[in-house]
Amino acid sequence: MKWQKQGKIFDPADHQLVTGRGFYAQSPQTLILEDRVRVYFSTRTRDAVGKYLSHISFVDFDKTFRQIKGVAKKAVIPLGGLGCFDEHGIFPINVVRDGEDVLAYTTGWNRKVSVSVDAAIGLAVSQNDGLTFGKVGAGPILAASLHEPFLVADAFVAIFGGVYHMWYIYGLRWLEHCQEGDPQRVYKIAHATSYDGMSWKRESRPIIPDRLNADECQALPTVIEYKGAYHMYFCYREASGFRNDRTRGYRLGYAQSTDLKAWTRNDCEAGIDLSETGWDSEMMCYPHVFHCDGEVLMLYNGNEFGRDGFGLARLCE
Amino acid sequence: MFRWIKLGQVFDPTKGQGASWMQEYAQAPSVVVFDNHVRVYFSSRKRPDEKGRYITRLGYIDLARDNLFRIVGVSAEPILPLGERGGFDEFGTYPASIIKIGEGFRVYYTGFSRCESVPFNNAIGLAISDDNGVTFRKVGLGPVLSFSPDEPFVLGSPKIRRFHDVWYLWYCAGQKWIFNEGKPQPVYKIRMATSDDGLQWVKYGQNIVKDVLESDECQASADVFLFQGRYHMFFSYRYNLEYRSSGRGYRIGYAWSDDLFHWTRDDAQAGIEASPEGWDSESISYAHVFSLDGRVLMFYQGNEMGRYGFGLAQLDTYYSKPVIV
Repeated sequence: MKWQKQGKIFDPADHQLVTGRGFYAQSPQTLILEDRVRVYFSTRTRDAVGKYLSHISFVDFDKTFRQIKGVAKKAVIPLGGLGCFDEHGIFPINVVRDGEDVLAYTTGWNRKVSVSVDAAIGLAVSQNDGLTFGKVGAGPILAASLHEPFLVADAFVAIFGGVYHMWYIYGLRWLEHCQEGDPQRVYKIAHATSYDGMSWKRESRPIIPDRLNADECQALPTVIEYKGAYHMYFCYREASGFRNDRTRGYRLGYAQSTDLKAWTRNDCEAGIDLSETGWDSEMMCYPHVFHCDGEVLMLYNGNEFGRDGFGLARLCE
Repeated sequence: MFRWIKLGQVFDPTKGQGASWMQEYAQAPSVVVFDNHVRVYFSSRKRPDEKGRYITRLGYIDLARDNLFRIVGVSAEPILPLGERGGFDEFGTYPASIIKIGEGFRVYYTGFSRCESVPFNNAIGLAISDDNGVTFRKVGLGPVLSFSPDEPFVLGSPKIRRFHDVWYLWYCAGQKWIFNEGKPQPVYKIRMATSDDGLQWVKYGQNIVKDVLESDECQASADVFLFQGRYHMFFSYRYNLEYRSSGRGYRIGYAWSDDLFHWTRDDAQAGIEASPEGWDSESISYAHVFSLDGRVLMFYQGNEMGRYGFGLAQLDTYYSKPVIV
């Protein structure tokens, strides 16, 4: 694969969002509409105690991505109520067209005491082309299970041959004694299937081999079918020291499959890497790969986990 | 209609009758009958930490089969490990329900984690024993029954049963948190699930016992017992708020069913109430009913959610209430 970077295309500081003038526009994910591409992302506010809350918003681009047609004027999906899995943020959101409906697979965050957070995957449905979504319930559709003890997150759903496939992550362990001073999490990419998008059969095992070490953190898988094969992009990093050290932060990984079961990791063929300088020179994360008007495109975040927005790349080989 | 005769308090952890780690509380008794003794599993606690927080652990006492007021054994240490950091059961394993099928022991237990906006969350775990029920090891690091769209949090008080080769799990599921004097309190209702293997569960998805006190009534500990051709459920219920004050705390309710799914609540048939005075005078809850040598017996916990342990009652009379046409 070979990608041509088109540069940063959205900076949340330039726009008045529902939650105020934005900072952070993380994990861009697309819904293709007739005359536009709706790009969802997570932006942040601070709560009364100064901690972050992530909220879903979107920006509409024309199909060439040269022009912004507008941003969400209403809250796309509310945060959860007291004690709910998504009380303290929704990040990210993955949208899938399913007939007349648009399904949203959300990752809800809730704060804990002995560790910073837990997460689970929720489902919401839109019947207005993704302007707003209603949750199917106050609880998640995919939460911790016998062999997935916590941090079930980052769903990406695609329908291939009538089967719903979900790639997502789950936590393996919390590491003690890290340089950060508080426990740091380790999570891996996994796979589940469904016939209705609601009840999922999970394999509950990591499906992508580690490149760095056993504590490698893998996140945000995205899968497309292209030229007879399935291509997965994701991001990965070291479990600690990743926030400020360029050599330990998020990079993009790549794996390929012909049957959606066995994946061969080969990051060398990803065809995209850090820039020498600029907004994506220290970190690249949260990739989203999609087809649009005969092209294959990628949205992704750069330095500081997408604090200053996201950029676009175009597949050229 | 049941009528129970109370036989008295069996175990009081505050009097040093158990192991050294059983300092307060003996909650949610669950029985396995052995040849010469009856093992009563329950949850107990050391004294709380500086913030007043407890960690509740699982243990047991063995009672002589021919005299259930004689303690013949005790678990010197908790018999189920706490969860790892960040796990659903890091801060407690209570309440629990133990079942012996053939030579296999299983415990379904409530795991406690601590949260920022609410004090805790619960999910249900599974552990098995390789040493005849003396100690248990977890089947996985995560819960066997977790949250779903209409059961968003606080899954607890499991009661495991097996009828006609099908596994049944009764449990409570949180519906909402409400504030009382600045502190969140959960509202939870009795629910059920079925399974072919006890690992993969299909939730029934409805509240199965109607409310009688108020819509925010809390229901838990649905103990189901097959007796004289009918399924009987003894459960616990209370007002949501100020439940530590008199008359609002836990009492024992009753429902019956002929198909295990549709339950008719009729608390008047329970036949057991708080005593006028003593260890079980303010509240009674977490009943467990079982048969032993021709008798039908009930263990239940008393005041302050079993802080002073549990006692025993014996079924005196039962008659099927005539249907009034």
